[in-house]
Amino acid sequence: MGAPLNEKLQDVFSEPGCDKNQGKSDKERKKGCTKQLSPGAAAGGCAFDGAKIALQPIVDVAHLVHGPIACEGNSWDNRHALSSGATTYRTGFTTDISELDVIYGGEKRLYKAIKEIIDKYDPPAVFVYQTCVTALIGDDIEVVCKAAAKKFGKPVIPVNSPGFAGVKNLGNKLGGEALLDYVIGTAEPEYTTPYDINIIGEYNLSGELWQVKPLLDAMGVRVLACISGDARYQEVAYSHRAKAAMMVCSKAMINISRKMEERYGIPFFEGSFYGIGDVSDSLREIARLLVQQGAPDDIIARTEALIAAEEARAWARLEPYKARLKGKRVLLITGGVKSWSVVAALQEVGIEIVGTSVKKSTKEDKEKIKEIMGDEAHMIDDMPPREMYKMLKEARADIMLSGGRSQFVALKAKMPWLDINQERHHAFAGYEGMVKLVQELDKTLYNPVWDQVRLPAPWDVAAA
Amino acid sequence: MPQNADNILDHENLFRQPEYVELFENKKRDFEFGHPVDKVKEIVEWTKTKDYQEKNFARDSLTVNPAKACQPLGAVFVANGFARTLSFVHGSQGCVAYYRSHFSRHFKEPTSCVSSSMTEDAAVFGGLNNMVDGLANTHSLYKPDMIAVSTTCMAEVIGDDLNAFIKTAKEKGSVPMDYDVPFAHTPAFVGSHITGYDNALLGILKHFWDGKADTAPKLERVPNESINFIGGFDGFVVGNMPEIRRIFKTMGIEHTLLCDPSDNWNTPTDGTYRMYDGGTTKQQVAEALNAKATIVFQQFSAEKTAKLIAEHGQEVVALNHPMGVAGTDQFLMALSRISGKPIPAELELERGRLVDAIADSQAHLHGKKYALYGDPDLMLGLTQFLLELGAEPTHVLSTNGDDKWAAKVQALFDASPFGKNCKVYPKRDLWHMRSLLFTEPVDFLIGNTYGKYLERDTGTPLIRLVFPIFDRHHYHRMPIWGYEGAMRVLVMLLDEFFESLDANTIIPGKTDYSYDIIR
Repeated sequence: MGAPLNEKLQDVFSEPGCDKNQGKSDKERKKGCTKQLSPGAAAGGCAFDGAKIALQPIVDVAHLVHGPIACEGNSWDNRHALSSGATTYRTGFTTDISELDVIYGGEKRLYKAIKEIIDKYDPPAVFVYQTCVTALIGDDIEVVCKAAAKKFGKPVIPVNSPGFAGVKNLGNKLGGEALLDYVIGTAEPEYTTPYDINIIGEYNLSGELWQVKPLLDAMGVRVLACISGDARYQEVAYSHRAKAAMMVCSKAMINISRKMEERYGIPFFEGSFYGIGDVSDSLREIARLLVQQGAPDDIIARTEALIAAEEARAWARLEPYKARLKGKRVLLITGGVKSWSVVAALQEVGIEIVGTSVKKSTKEDKEKIKEIMGDEAHMIDDMPPREMYKMLKEARADIMLSGGRSQFVALKAKMPWLDINQERHHAFAGYEGMVKLVQELDKTLYNPVWDQVRLPAPWDVAAA
Repeated sequence: MPQNADNILDHENLFRQPEYVELFENKKRDFEFGHPVDKVKEIVEWTKTKDYQEKNFARDSLTVNPAKACQPLGAVFVANGFARTLSFVHGSQGCVAYYRSHFSRHFKEPTSCVSSSMTEDAAVFGGLNNMVDGLANTHSLYKPDMIAVSTTCMAEVIGDDLNAFIKTAKEKGSVPMDYDVPFAHTPAFVGSHITGYDNALLGILKHFWDGKADTAPKLERVPNESINFIGGFDGFVVGNMPEIRRIFKTMGIEHTLLCDPSDNWNTPTDGTYRMYDGGTTKQQVAEALNAKATIVFQQFSAEKTAKLIAEHGQEVVALNHPMGVAGTDQFLMALSRISGKPIPAELELERGRLVDAIADSQAHLHGKKYALYGDPDLMLGLTQFLLELGAEPTHVLSTNGDDKWAAKVQALFDASPFGKNCKVYPKRDLWHMRSLLFTEPVDFLIGNTYGKYLERDTGTPLIRLVFPIFDRHHYHRMPIWGYEGAMRVLVMLLDEFFESLDANTIIPGKTDYSYDIIR
């Protein structure tokens, strides 16, 4: 591990915007922000994956993975982060290094790969991702990127987040650091308005940003840059000219939000687009921050009018589901901001939350959960599949909401399941998204297969 | 020249070349004198309206694009299910050519079947001579163990008496006196191919059980523990019958498949032509009388046969093409009850896997609307399975389904919240279906090859699960019965869903934001 990476890690570990880190002793902090992985136990994604998913939604750049085939081969184009234009980001670029590269070093191959990308695709920038193997053999991607950028006259951004550096969340942050170091502040927008904001930590999964954007349009707010959902390289480059920022996925990109506040004086707040109340709160907060930054204050009235109209419309559309969903018990296995934002959303239609996982949640996330669910909040810190299975099996819930990997555990425990992570097919953000979530929940709960799943074969019943 | 030796264009591209385009245009302009394009367009649009639908449904004489075939087709199907048996259709040979091509196009196999080739003089003087000569020739040319006789309309209209004719033919030495020639009157102007299946099978059972047309003593029933299985007319028979055999074997039940054409329509290419392969033997037919019970898998395909069997003292369990989880449960539990044998763990495991697969994919089929047409029992089975998946069988149509059938479909609708907005259409044809697909559109259509015109006209993606399937190969080799078969049907439903979704999101830069790797 080179010195720069070590320094970067320490920088990220001591992120002052993160209460959890601040609560630790110096020694603990050095170890990193998440629990050490226990060898032999199943674990989540690596730092490379974290960096890749945080940056991959920038749609017009080429994302080049420097490493053996595994890293890109298993991961390209799998997140349903949608683009309204360029689709370069969905093409899998990798150096696919071989045995000889491991022996002689892969820097030359990387340099040539960058050249070929620029020759053939001419993207506004190339992002180069470090991986375990190329880091171990000592390939210096920062130097290669620098040389390539100079030679080809085009930004070539090193993303130094090899898998062994740590877990996925750390990778999210290291991805953010790459933007802070090499991208943000390197261009100027054509013009600015008093209503320019950044949305940070929103990836436009299944097009969620597009459920929110019309609301912002109606308020007269311009999204200068979304980092990184449906983003263009240029937008990220000039995002430092925004007046205010909203941070959506709390843990992933807190360093971007905080450092942009520090460097460019852009105030930010943490909000959520999940759930009716939360969407309204977020819109209000955006308006408030903009006014605080000098925008005319008529935006506040405009925002309130929009909220009133949209809330009424959403409630009316949810009404028919209330009777069907009242008292249904939900187990939430997700992380970060969703651990509480979805809770509030579900409670709005009368659903009972029997537990929510807080494995990937921050201290603030946990506080919020307590606030919303009361002291009885069943927070599940880390649930291995066996425990999850047991809990589901005991039927303490009617449905589980989780990501794709837990889906199949749920099924074996005869538990209905709804995907709320990145592989889902429906967008759940904004007022529109909440209605959609409830519709999907209703559909899933009432699918006839669950009767079938939960009953033994009829001949076993007869025998019993 | 549009065609040259270096690059031979196939039909779908050849006629798009400018020379041909011009030729077609000239022909249209100078010779056809059709209605103005706008007028044609206007009428096409009108056929999509409710107004047109009312007129369409008021039709009382004309059938347009029927979803059924004639009785002898079912009779030929039955004959093919018995060992070394040749199907002999008494009547005009043109009809027989239809049956053979119909089956061959579907099963991609030769289908042996002969006719008595009646001509004008036979129509005037009766077809006796044709029967006499026909049986003699069939016997000496093809050396079958049994000749199963059925009829076309021509013989039925002039009133040929098969029983008497066959007797006379035997007396005249066409075939030996003790040679087996079971027969069935199968007029096409009554019922459909499923009626013909019923009559032909009835004819064979009657022949062997009830004294071979008064030439032998009637058989005495000595009950044993065996179970008979009658599949009914089934386009997937090549895949289904081995599956049924496997289920019986797994459960350890002695069984006889009465009419099993799965080998005859599935012969290998190894240099040997098998005019006859597999099928139920004469001995098995005779012994089937002793069985404890008979399972009729498709009730409407064997109504009279079921009655005959019951009259001989057996329990008859009539099912309606049970498929899916609950359907297969019902079938296995019937087997278990009759045989007294438990359902083995192996089958329960398959069941669990099927349930797992359905649950894995439930979100994709939930609430999807289907229109389906085909034989009555298949419609009942599919309706039940779709409801089980949380899908809505919005239009269920059968040309050869009657009101009794419609009531059964309605009962399935009533038992499920997903059946609330669904409707059953007995005695309707594909032109009725066309109106329905325009006025009350659905997501998918389940039917046979003829459904592709509906797919083209209405844009409703077609899933081919109904006989005949001419334009896709080898579907019939896979079972749709049992838990394994249900898995196959599930995959077909899902495939079409995913194909449609991909097709709908495939335009680069326009709709491909949802063209995804993971579905």
